[in-house]
Formats: sequence, structure tokens, C-alpha cells
Amino acid sequence: MSYARSTQFNRRSSGSWGRNQNTTRFASPVKLGPVTHTVLVALMITVLGLIYLTQATRATSYDYEAQKIDSKIADLNNQKTDLQVENARLTALENVQNSSVARNMTQPSQTDYVGE
Amino acid sequence: MQLDLKKGSRARTLAILTLVIMAIFIVRLFYLQIIRHDYYVAQANNEQLKQLIIPAKRGEIYAMDDGTPVPLVLNQAVYTAFADPKIVDEPQKMIDLIHRVAGGNARPNLDRLLGLKDSRYQILATKVTRQQAEMMKKENLRGLGFQEESQRVYPEGKLAAQILGFVNNEGKGQYGLEDAMNARLTGKDGLLQSVTDISNVPLTIGNKNINIPPQNGENVVMTLDRNVQAYTEKALADGLKKSGATNGSVLVMDPQTGRVLSMANFPTYNPSEYNKVQNADAFNNATISAPYEPGSDIKTITMTTGVDKGAVGPESTYNNTDYITVDDATITNATKGQTGNITFQHALNYSLNTGFVTVAERLGDGKSITLAARNTMYDYFYNKLHLGQLTGIELANEQAGTIIPPSDPQGNAVRYSNMAFGQGLDVTMLQVGAAFSAVINGGTYHTPSIIAGTMNDDGDAFTPAASKGSVANAIKATTSDTMRKMIHDARSAFYAGKDKPGYYIGGKTGTSQTIENGHYVDNQTVGTYLGFGGESSAASGPKYVIMVQVSGKNMNLQGGRDAMPIFTDISNWLLSYMKLQPKG
Repeated sequence: MSYARSTQFNRRSSGSWGRNQNTTRFASPVKLGPVTHTVLVALMITVLGLIYLTQATRATSYDYEAQKIDSKIADLNNQKTDLQVENARLTALENVQNSSVARNMTQPSQTDYVGE
Repeated sequence: MQLDLKKGSRARTLAILTLVIMAIFIVRLFYLQIIRHDYYVAQANNEQLKQLIIPAKRGEIYAMDDGTPVPLVLNQAVYTAFADPKIVDEPQKMIDLIHRVAGGNARPNLDRLLGLKDSRYQILATKVTRQQAEMMKKENLRGLGFQEESQRVYPEGKLAAQILGFVNNEGKGQYGLEDAMNARLTGKDGLLQSVTDISNVPLTIGNKNINIPPQNGENVVMTLDRNVQAYTEKALADGLKKSGATNGSVLVMDPQTGRVLSMANFPTYNPSEYNKVQNADAFNNATISAPYEPGSDIKTITMTTGVDKGAVGPESTYNNTDYITVDDATITNATKGQTGNITFQHALNYSLNTGFVTVAERLGDGKSITLAARNTMYDYFYNKLHLGQLTGIELANEQAGTIIPPSDPQGNAVRYSNMAFGQGLDVTMLQVGAAFSAVINGGTYHTPSIIAGTMNDDGDAFTPAASKGSVANAIKATTSDTMRKMIHDARSAFYAGKDKPGYYIGGKTGTSQTIENGHYVDNQTVGTYLGFGGESSAASGPKYVIMVQVSGKNMNLQGGRDAMPIFTDISNWLLSYMKLQPKG
């Protein structure tokens, strides 16, 4: 099994480098042309756009959920108010006085007071 | 990469053309996005950004029931059922449905309304309840819609109608508490600004969303006691029936705090049907908005002034000749024959005008109602006991009345001789009730109030209101003790048997002449009765003050005959209701 060297080293003597300078540099064997660059950028923009759209759509779907819940809360509040009104009507003095319980009440013949 | 296009080649032409087209796009986009930016943003906002008003809930109104708040005015969602006749395709089915479900709330001539095909909006029924609206919605009729609104509901019906007032079609409080406390009851509407979808569902996208929640109106709790109010209204109606009087009012107060327990007025009305009232007088709360000459009830105030200044006492005497002359005016007694050297207690028992003109004279030099005497009377009537001025009760349309000061040319001796027995001044029942409370409660003037506090939004936590203030020693405590006994004796002299035994009840009759076209008339008098009640123990003090007034056009009504029985009825009931124990 043989391994091909993937890194090239330029020798110091081949350039006009100073004494203490790093003379080794990475040089990728894959060369990307301008079209590839453009396509890659376009792809990145597309992906980012899709991510944004996904998030925005998800947020909007929450809005619909929230709207449904708000609607339900409003309905329940209305029901609660209706019940409060009904309760107040049923316990109104006139209703209480006209109830069968009240009609069957009698005046006490004598009242005894407990001393203070 | 380097493109090497030959001059005049098709590729070069295409490249140039592409560049030109791109340039056009760029210029157009620059114009649309940069130069016309604001215009298109505004257009987009117009279409997408919606502002929804979130209505604030109007505050509810409560009364007390043996110390527990109970609702007198609540809100309820009701619906207006409407149709778009242009798109209604089953008119007969819709008419049947509206009649079947909405019943009496349906508009007449529904077939005619639905036949108006040029109209896009016709109201078919109003004040439809939520359940009724749900039933109609289930039928899924094309062109039928519902509009929600809030309406005031009155579980106790007519109870305390003049105190509550009502809310008109524009949502503004009219008369009573609704009017006086409109700002506090109304609250502040909220605002929801948001980008919406086509169904007006608010979406969180966009950066101009605003959500300001509404501030609901305050839930107000009145000092009024529901049971006392109901009994007072019934007693007043029964009393008026017996006397034949057409108008009447009753005020019940707690003399130890100035809190109003009841204000009853007749005739009355149903606030949920205020639009059916023919005579607007029914809206008025006469106890605060109808100043009148109080008549002999005021003798208790004159006597208080005399006692407090040390000018007279209950056993002081004067010579009663059944008439007395002040400058050019001769004043006579309504009850004649009690002549001779009599006490002021006797004068109070028989309500003798001459006795109280004499008290006024003794506040000066003893012979005439001097300026010093008039100044003293004015000081007690107006400054100390607040007659003839607004009490500041939290109800609409309170009237101040009039007490003419001695500095006014009309504030002469004759005027003040009349004021001594309750003529020549205009005051309201509430003013008299508050002043009388100070006379019999030990001498403290409590500013009358009808607000006990507020309830939270859920209606389950009560916060008491701060006291409106009081003036201690408006009169001396010893004077108050003397007056309490005098007024008790005055009632006992004629009506002792009317009261439940073992309690300490006092009262004073009043029969006032009325003025028509600037002159006193003989065929029309107003009957009043002003009194207090409580346990006999002096330490516990009076527990209630009741003032009754009855009147009618061209009717001679008397305090003792027509107003006093109403007082007695309410007083005897209150003794039981307040669980006061008899002594002895």
C-alpha cells in the first residue's frame, strides 16, 4: 500500500524568504473555479432562506394555535359571565322571596335573646 | 476566468443585451425599493397590518348584603343577528329560524328586510343571547352573521334604579353612580396591532406589532345594603299607597359613619328598559337632587344650636301665645292651644314655631334675631352641619340647595326666624340626614358616602375604600346627648306605642308648605319624618337614621300622618335585621 503525498513543500531556496519566515504553505490540490463558487454561494443562500422560511412558517403555525386558544379562552370567559349572571339572577331577592322555601317560612311566635 | 468575446459576435451582443436588461432591472428595483420605499411600505401595511381595539370591560356595581358584596349590575355578551340580503339564498328558512330562536327580540317584517337585495346589512334580531346565537350558527345559513356587544344586566331588576343610573347607547353612564363614576367604571380600551392573514388572524411576523392590553373599569362596591334597600322600597311603596301620595323618598344612613344604607325613590323605573320611561323625573334621585324646604325637621337643628351655645335647654321655658312677631312678620303655630309658660321640650313635642323663633332670639339679645344670632345660626347650619352645600356623595346630579348668609340683604331677621322652623332655606334630604346624624351620634359630622370599596377583576376580593373624613366635635357631645333625649321624648310623646319595646327610638315630624310661582300655596304640603333608632344603651349609640318624605301634586300631606308610618315600618324591621337586642 502506498501513500501519495498530499502536501507540497516549497523549499526556502526557491523563494526570496527571510531567515525566520515560515516557508511552508498549504496548497489544496482541488481547484474551485468562479462558477463553482457562485453555485456554492447560491446554494448557501438557498439553504439559509429555507431555514428562515421553515422557522417563519413554524412561528406562524404557533400563531394559529394561539388564536385558537385565545378564542377558546374568550368563549369560556363568556360562559363564565353567563353563569355569573344566571347565579346572580337565581339569588336575587325577588327570586329568593318567591321560592317555595321562603313561602313556607313562618313568623317566630317568640324571640329569645342570648345575654351579652 | 476571462471571457474573450469577439467584437460583433452574437455572444458579445447577447452579453451586452443581458447587461442592459440587468441594468434596467437594477434601476427599476432601485426606484421601487429605494425611492418609492415609503409608499410601498405604507401600502403593504394598509393591507397586512390591522389595528384591533380590545374593548375594556365596564366595571360592575355591587351592594352589600349583611357585609358581603353582591352584584347589582353585571355585563353580559349579547349579539345582534344581521343578514346580507344580497347573498341570502334561503330567506324563509332564515325568517323561521330567527322567529323560533330569538322570539321577541326579532325585528318585525323580516321578509321585507330580507327582500332589500340592494342592501348588504339588515339587522334581524337584537340582544340575542350567546346560546341563541350558537343555535342559529349551527344552521349554517348563508348570509347570516352575528355582532357581539356587551350590555348591562340588572339581576335585582328595579332595585336602587336611581342610585345606579344606566348606560346609554353610546356606552356612557347616565344618572346615578354610572354617571358620577363613569371614568372609573369605563376603563381604557386596549390595542392590538399586528400583521394578519386573510382571516384576520394576527401573526407574529413583522416588527410593528403592538399589544396593549385593556384596563378594565373598576368594580365598585356601594355601602348600600341590598336587603335594607329592598325593604325600604317596599315600605315606601306601601306607605304611599296608604296615604295616596304620588311621590316619595326614603334615606337610611349609618349615623356612626355617614354611610348610606338605602336611598329609595318613587316613582321608579327599570334600568334595563330606561328607554321606555316617559317622564325623566323617574331617573332623579330626589334624596340628593331635589332641594326643598325641610319644615319642622329643622327644629332639631335650631334646638341643637341653642343648646350648644348654652342659650336654651330642654327645660328652659318661654311664654307661648301661639304667635310671635319678627319685624313686620307675624309667625303663628300650626298647632294651637299649648299657650302659657312652656318648656322647649314641650315646644318640640308639639312642633311649635314660636318656640324655635324664640331660640333664635335667645342666640342674640333675647328680644330679636340680631346679626350675632343670625351669624351663629349660619355657622351651625352651614359651616358645622353643612346644610345648603354639596356633600360630595358619589352620585350624579347632586344639588347644593341654598342657605342665605346674614351678609346677604335677604339674610335678615325675618328670613332667619323662618329658617328656625324650616322655611326660607333649601336643602336636600341627604344634607338633613347627615346633619341629623351629627346631632345624635355624639357630635361628629361624617361626610356622607356611598362607596364602600372595590372588587378585583374576578369579583372575589374586596378592598375597602378610605374614609371620606369627618369632623369631630362639630357640636359638643353633651349637646348631642341632650338632643338625642329630646328627640326620643318628642317621639315618645305621641308615637311610643308604635315602636318595638326595649329600644331607643327618636324622631321628629315635618310638614312643609310648598312654593308655586314664588308663593306659598295652601293646598300642597310635603310630609316628612326624621328619626333614629338603636339599642337603649347610651354607649352603643344610634344605629340608623331614617328620613322619609312624601308629596303629591295638590295634596296636603302631613309628617305625622303620612310619613311617620313609613319610618316606623322601616325602623321596626331594621331592629330585627340589625340583630339589635332589646333592653328591659
